[in-house]
Amino acid sequence: MTGRGSGAGPAGADTAGPGPAGGTPGAHMVKCVVWDIDNTLLSGVYLESGAQPPPAAPGMAALLRELAARGIVHAIASRNPPAAAEYAARAAGCEFAAAECGWGRKSEAVARIAAELGIAVGALAFVDDDPYERAEVSFALPPVLVLSPEDMTEAVGWPEFSPSVITPEARRRGAMYAQRRRRLAAERSFGGSREEFLRSIGTRVTVAPAGPPDVPRLHELSQRTSQFNSAGAGLTEEAFRSLISSPGRGVLTVRLRDTFGDDGLVGASVVEHGVTESGMTGPEVTGPGVTGPEPGTWTVRLLMMSCRAMGRGVIEALLAWLARSAAREGAQAMQIPCALNDRNVPLRLALAAAGFRAPDGPGTGTSGRAVFQLDLRGPQPELPDWVTGPGRP
Amino acid sequence: MTAVAGEIRRILAAVTGRPELLGIPADTPLFGAGVALDSLTGTLLLREIRRQFSVDVAAEDLNLDALATLGTLAAFVGARAAVGGEAD
Repeated sequence: MTGRGSGAGPAGADTAGPGPAGGTPGAHMVKCVVWDIDNTLLSGVYLESGAQPPPAAPGMAALLRELAARGIVHAIASRNPPAAAEYAARAAGCEFAAAECGWGRKSEAVARIAAELGIAVGALAFVDDDPYERAEVSFALPPVLVLSPEDMTEAVGWPEFSPSVITPEARRRGAMYAQRRRRLAAERSFGGSREEFLRSIGTRVTVAPAGPPDVPRLHELSQRTSQFNSAGAGLTEEAFRSLISSPGRGVLTVRLRDTFGDDGLVGASVVEHGVTESGMTGPEVTGPGVTGPEPGTWTVRLLMMSCRAMGRGVIEALLAWLARSAAREGAQAMQIPCALNDRNVPLRLALAAAGFRAPDGPGTGTSGRAVFQLDLRGPQPELPDWVTGPGRP
Repeated sequence: MTAVAGEIRRILAAVTGRPELLGIPADTPLFGAGVALDSLTGTLLLREIRRQFSVDVAAEDLNLDALATLGTLAAFVGARAAVGGEAD
């Protein structure tokens, strides 16, 4: 009765495996488990238990803790009143990043949770003891991994729930979603523009060259990001290590914090200086006065950002930083080859907003590849003063 | 087409939380000065257009040129929604 079958293991495990190839970014890795309350998180029915609601289901607290330690966050979708979610959180000793309580369809509650947390529905698992609810979510949201509570006990060993690296950012993920909820509430009650809001909450974006200690997080980001990932494929730790030390290339990291909390390393770019998309090395870029038969071009091989940083000025800051750096070094154009799919539309929106354009090529909006280009000979994009780092352009 | 523009104004006001966008003229740019659409509000806008008009702007428009102004977006959506019988 589960969405993807049990016994033989999860379908698509071959693409989800965090093997040496790095895997497809975010493909089928579960980032959030959405739990039912009655007979799932709790060992009974909340409203039928009189004054003393039932305790957490046996082993539930340990299971939730284990998943949270792997960077997987928890949410609740229940037909109970909101007080039941608060009780379940206390009973299970766990923080829930989102809770949807009400009488609507569970699939709609799950979709709202995905939207609130900024997580693709394909990165959600849904656990419910009621076969009808499981069928309804499976039918309405095919990408969701749908499991019974018994399946979940076994599934904790599946690749979907086993990220290959667990970074400090991952362990803090549950707390960061709670910060996010408080930040969103503050933004809703804030009167001014988003720029003014970001400034008012002390947003700080720090851009810096990557070093060896950043490698595990860079690898993790490359695997987990899909909405903001230009390459459409993950990179191994080995690949990042070699990129960091190779001449003519730059790996930039982006860190984000504000008064609500520190999100750590949320984005990065891999840039080749003076190299065109065809792989031909362009003329040596020596300074602002550089001239040559071909214009110097910076090629961004990978641009990625955690969807947690969406709407917080980070991707805009990184694109402006790259454009200004390239222009300062005498480059006349910057290009970003992008894999096109139905998940990275947010990245295309950011590129369009920053003035990038792709000449019509073989790619359509949802498949293939396109090279987005920015002419650097025009006016430079603004870089807000809350964006800092060594060599700020 | 004007009905589509009105509906898009309502969506823009909702996703940005800025009711003043209900009164913007058709030639208002959606990126940069004006509406200042970013990847978050842009994603919410395209999702809502797909839901209400069954038009997938991102799938058809590689460079998202349709998002140049309110007017270009309304024309893009209006032309396709009419074909699908979704308008009016």
